Amino acid sequence: MIKVKDRKIPWREGMTVADVLSEIGDPYPYAVVRVNEKSVSRPDFERTTVPDGAEVYPIPMVAGG
Amino acid sequence: MQGPTFKEIGAFGYNRAEVDRGYTDQVLSVNLSNSEIVTKPVDERIRKVFVGGKGYDLWLLWNAVKPTTKWDDPENAVCIACGPMGGTTNYPGSGKSIVSTISPLTSAPIDSNVGGFFGPYLKFSGFDALEVTGKAEKEVVVVIDGVDEKVKIIECSGLPEDSYETSRILTEHFGDGKPREISVVSAGQGAKNTLIGCLNFTWFDSARKRVRYKQAGRGGIGTVFTNKNIKAIVARWDKVTLRSNRPADEKSLKEVGKAHSTEIVQLDPKQHEMAVLGTTHLVTIMDDYDLLPTNNFRYGRHPEAANLGQEVYRRLFDKGFDGCWVGCTVACAHGIKDFVPFTGPFKGQKVFVDGPEYETIAGCGSNLGIFDPFTVAEFNFYCDAYGIDTISFGTALAFVMECFEMGLINKEHTGGLDLSFGNRLSALEVLHQMGRGEGFGKIVGQGIRRMKKIFASEFGADAATMQDIGMEAKGLEFSEYITKESLAQQGGYGLALKGPQHDEAWLIFLDMVHGYMPTFEKKAEALHWFPMFRTWFSLCGLCKLPWNDIVPEDNKDTEEPAKVMQHVEWYAKYFSAVTGRETTPEGLITMSETVYNFQRIFNLKMGFGDRANDDIPYRAVGPVTEDEYESRRERYDKQLVEEHEVDIAGKSTAEKLAILRKHREKRYEILKDSVYARRGWTKDGIPTLKTVKRLGIDFPDVLELLESKGVRE
Repeated sequence: MIKVKDRKIPWREGMTVADVLSEIGDPYPYAVVRVNEKSVSRPDFERTTVPDGAEVYPIPMVAGG
Repeated sequence: MQGPTFKEIGAFGYNRAEVDRGYTDQVLSVNLSNSEIVTKPVDERIRKVFVGGKGYDLWLLWNAVKPTTKWDDPENAVCIACGPMGGTTNYPGSGKSIVSTISPLTSAPIDSNVGGFFGPYLKFSGFDALEVTGKAEKEVVVVIDGVDEKVKIIECSGLPEDSYETSRILTEHFGDGKPREISVVSAGQGAKNTLIGCLNFTWFDSARKRVRYKQAGRGGIGTVFTNKNIKAIVARWDKVTLRSNRPADEKSLKEVGKAHSTEIVQLDPKQHEMAVLGTTHLVTIMDDYDLLPTNNFRYGRHPEAANLGQEVYRRLFDKGFDGCWVGCTVACAHGIKDFVPFTGPFKGQKVFVDGPEYETIAGCGSNLGIFDPFTVAEFNFYCDAYGIDTISFGTALAFVMECFEMGLINKEHTGGLDLSFGNRLSALEVLHQMGRGEGFGKIVGQGIRRMKKIFASEFGADAATMQDIGMEAKGLEFSEYITKESLAQQGGYGLALKGPQHDEAWLIFLDMVHGYMPTFEKKAEALHWFPMFRTWFSLCGLCKLPWNDIVPEDNKDTEEPAKVMQHVEWYAKYFSAVTGRETTPEGLITMSETVYNFQRIFNLKMGFGDRANDDIPYRAVGPVTEDEYESRRERYDKQLVEEHEVDIAGKSTAEKLAILRKHREKRYEILKDSVYARRGWTKDGIPTLKTVKRLGIDFPDVLELLESKGVRE
């Protein structure tokens, strides 16, 4: 299982950040997703895999700076 | 070794004005030429129009200087103010000081927002603001002792040259066993020997039992400070509580402070971990989006960027609470313990490095082609110790390195230094030369605008090329973001009043990544609202990080997520609770708009502040060299074909580069028109008569100035 915000979803081998966002059905164009302690940016969503047991937190990042 | 000696040459006893609703309504004025110390009252109109902080600084500065005043004239003032909410202990980010002066780099007003305890201690000692004019004959320390109700000017000798040790010694000396009661403002030998000097503001970190530092970095304020022969300004105050500001509505203040603090405690660990990592998370994110300045803003990414990323600093930063003011839950002021410099006067000694933050990492790391975190830490440490702004240093040296690689300058000009990108030892030597005031470092310390003239007139370098690649506007070096693909952020930098610093507007993600502002009108609207709201923090003595770096979980679903309106509403409530002046989110914008327009007119008074002064170098707008174009050819080709309907078949890179440039430069001029119209300015970028009357800044001298510029409507 992996945890996305307060929700738990099943993990599968080779699951990417893009897969996780698709799984939770959230179409928001997040700029960054935190996977455990690492930040993954949108250009890398398709090629970054998520380990089992990971805590995932999508961040819109519209502001900042 | 003989210790420092102190000799009192001026003293002023006073009855401390109690703080009421965030204000003392008193300004402390110190003239170092004649050792005169006086207090000045702040009247109701000034309080209403200028609010506090930067607003008060600008008002004091406006009255101190003439249009002909240069940065090193005695009448130039160094102004430091807190703000009505500064010193609040239950709301995150509420201990800021705002410093202003006429800048040696821009010859116009500059402002810098800095942490540390000085601003709140100044206010609790009885003063909303401090202005220091004149020049002392010998080096002096100005002491504002709110406990004993005395202000003193003290001649000093025997103090170290650097800011790091000076602050430690003065904290010990004036703290008399209670170092927490002391905050020191100081510069260093680098501030004296360059035009890019910064000021260090301290607080005593009780847990680590050491003096900590934050920097008022931009625009050479430290240089003005040392030019006045000020060694340091010391504030002394004792107890700080929620009631120190005597808020109008303590219950409401408690509620809103608790709401924001609690949210940060809950969400920061899930979002960017600023309480652990500061702003270092930005390095790899900027790199991912091709926004991390690399080799003088030529490129936006580099394969070694992760060497400077958050995972490295997670290991390097000393663990513990790092708030630069009481009660801040963002607590982002991290540092590296027991760092041992490998060059310079502290070589081989253990020191504590306060930082680095993102700007320093990008400026003194990737932008110089350096991807070693320890070298960045060494730059950080010595810039602080010498009193040099890390942003101007990094951006100026990046320009030099590109000039060196292009062959515009060579070793004969650099005193034998190989200043190719990535040459960390030569880069550090330039910094030490700035500290010593000698060699090529002294030239680099003049800043890019002056370097361009020196390189052209003395070294025969091509002026047009340097104009394109020298990343300065209004005389100030750019902070550390690539703007080529964000027209809105080009405006965010180019239209910023003090020069290209991102504190007015950071619109890259909104514009480039999310595409939320496709039209000129939408960009102009953003370049109205965001600079206005961001200005407001500096009026009130606040840090802007709690507003939009940690955001509510449902923020993305709101109508305008970038504004983080939940927090804006909290800030309106916070302002009302402290000052008793009821306001709304729109009211906050109007407060800022007033001061913002006043600052634009102040620029005009000093001979700037019109359309021509909002130009930016082409490196900020698009690719300057064929290499740059080729490195992102697919992107640029696509833009030429799809956006500009250019037939690129058979065209050389040089031809495509020229066509793209023409389009991009035209776009920037249209953006200026749109923003000026939205802000209520003339086509030449000057606030109209109608605008200044609406905002209540129609002072006689303002109207006279506008009249002299032909503004009659």
